[in-house]
Amino acid sequence: MKFVKDIKADDTLDLVCRMCPLHLLEPGEKLACMKEGQVLEVLTDYDGALEDIPSWCEKCGQEFIGIEEDEDCYKLYIRKKKGNGDGKESISG
Amino acid sequence: MEKKVYLDNAAATPVRKEVIEEMMPFFDAEFGNPSTVYDMGSRIKAVVDVQRAKVAELIGARPEEIIFTSGGTEANNLAIKGIAFAHRKKGNHIIVAATEHHSVLNSARFFERLDYEVTFLKVDEYGLVDPQRIRELIRPETILVSIAYASNEIGTIQPISEIAEVCKNKGVFFHTDGVATVGNIPVDVKQLGVDLLSLSGIPLEAPKGTGALYFRKGLRLMPLLHGGIQESGRRGGTENVPGIVGLGKAAELTLQELPQKMRHVKVLRDKLVSGVIESIESVKLTGHPETRLPGHASFCVQAIEGEALVFMLSSEGIYVNTGSACASKALKTSPVLLAIGIPPELAQGSIVFTLDVTNTEEDIDYVLEKLPFVVGRLRSMSPLWGKKETAQASS
Amino acid sequence: MYSEEVMKHFAQPKNVGEIKDADGIGEAGNPVCGDMMSFYIKVKDGRLEDVKYKTFGCVAAIAVSSKVSELVKGKTLEEAKALSKKAVAEALGGLPKEKMHCSNLGAEALGKAIADYEARHGGMPLAEQTEKQFEVTLGCCDCSTENPPQAKFCMSCGKELKK
Repeated sequence: MKFVKDIKADDTLDLVCRMCPLHLLEPGEKLACMKEGQVLEVLTDYDGALEDIPSWCEKCGQEFIGIEEDEDCYKLYIRKKKGNGDGKESISG
Repeated sequence: MEKKVYLDNAAATPVRKEVIEEMMPFFDAEFGNPSTVYDMGSRIKAVVDVQRAKVAELIGARPEEIIFTSGGTEANNLAIKGIAFAHRKKGNHIIVAATEHHSVLNSARFFERLDYEVTFLKVDEYGLVDPQRIRELIRPETILVSIAYASNEIGTIQPISEIAEVCKNKGVFFHTDGVATVGNIPVDVKQLGVDLLSLSGIPLEAPKGTGALYFRKGLRLMPLLHGGIQESGRRGGTENVPGIVGLGKAAELTLQELPQKMRHVKVLRDKLVSGVIESIESVKLTGHPETRLPGHASFCVQAIEGEALVFMLSSEGIYVNTGSACASKALKTSPVLLAIGIPPELAQGSIVFTLDVTNTEEDIDYVLEKLPFVVGRLRSMSPLWGKKETAQASS
Repeated sequence: MYSEEVMKHFAQPKNVGEIKDADGIGEAGNPVCGDMMSFYIKVKDGRLEDVKYKTFGCVAAIAVSSKVSELVKGKTLEEAKALSKKAVAEALGGLPKEKMHCSNLGAEALGKAIADYEARHGGMPLAEQTEKQFEVTLGCCDCSTENPPQAKFCMSCGKELKK
């Protein structure tokens, strides 16, 4: 588990209160609309995400930056490594 | 053929022919599940998204701000419970009007059993809440205010924009139960400034068991139904595709036809109200005389009881309602009528008319012919009529 | 919701009215709860020669009053006093569970009218004696028991009383 702090994100995806499998579907959809190099911040209170999202990043060739624990949720940071951000690409490999 | 005049459209409406036709293919030919990956499913998903956009357009929302539900009750539950659970860390105080529908009141009461506090806001003689009073009641622990846009029981329309302003300034979420208004008056959630709004398919002449919750984009909501990916994880369960298609079609038609409907029902309603007041003594119009739903008329009739009145009218082919159906089945006096200061014995004589575009002037004339006769008959049987209790009811 | 017999008595209730020089008057129920019946009786040779009533209430209440009047007219006082709420409900082909209290009310109002008659023949009319009493008891909306005015809960069924 890699802990980070004060990461600057280009976009945020709020998944708090929502559970599996949204935490694996929506980041992909969001990243598809972002440019390479941009950072997505994912907010979640679902414990399963702590393991699932880093694995998903590895599988899909995205960079998992780390986790920050906030007051009411976890913040997970993903840097987009591939794709042109037109929303049409398949992020989930 | 026996004459039938149906004036209880708040309880149920016939589903429009065009809506039924639109729904039919989705029962057999296009029966796919929107969550499946092959074309039969993705095609249906696209259809559901189109309906979402139609419902959103009706109320001035974005499509992604609509959650389809099984009706107004589920939408109200999702709003109250969704906010209360998701924002517990922020606070545990909820404010609702004392005149809310049972689905809001009971959802709020549920939280009294947990470590939440609920304030049941008093209303005035017309059922109106005071936005200033809400401002005074909001404290640091307040997370949600829920005030219905209008009442199906007394027709009064609330000052929703003013209340939304108060809540926004105080950083408190504001939900409105729009079931009595969406389909009856224009509703624009952005103009109103609400964070959440419930709607039901019934006033839109869509099937029963359909509805939606509008939630402002970015709002955190705890789901009621945990499940799969449907409704972006906010409401699990395979979608009621035919119902959603029906709701979408009904929303589309309503958007086009609403101004005409409002004009039509208002004329008939006004004729009904003046006719009733003129021809029957000791009757009180409940709710606000002007700021009320255009097709809504509600009265309390001295010295007679509502259920007897409804049954006697139905034997003449006239279908109306008496107060709150939930209350009357439970033998309780309508809490809404008590909240606006109607004495309990007068509240027993509650009668509610909700008109629709299918009603005609002939219908109203028929009601005005039969109603005084039925009231007279019941009063002739009543020990409360003709004695000390005949003090003026309509003041 | 209601049986054919109930609807028949509701649509064409028998014996509605008042008796100006009644031999006994009995009242039961409370308009606050939504049901109230006033029974008037005329007694001759120990039998109910005439029975009339006025009712404020629902379909069940009106049907019960009508059926009670029909069942007891012409009967002896003893036979009338023996009329139970169960018998009234059965004669009506049954009542919904939540409306059973109406049959209780009918039997009670009639019983009070008979008691009034008997009191008059044994002294001051019960209606006069107890008119004040009716004003100062607190009726239970569930089981129709008349409770003391200061009671908070019904002494029969325990339900919280409404003032």
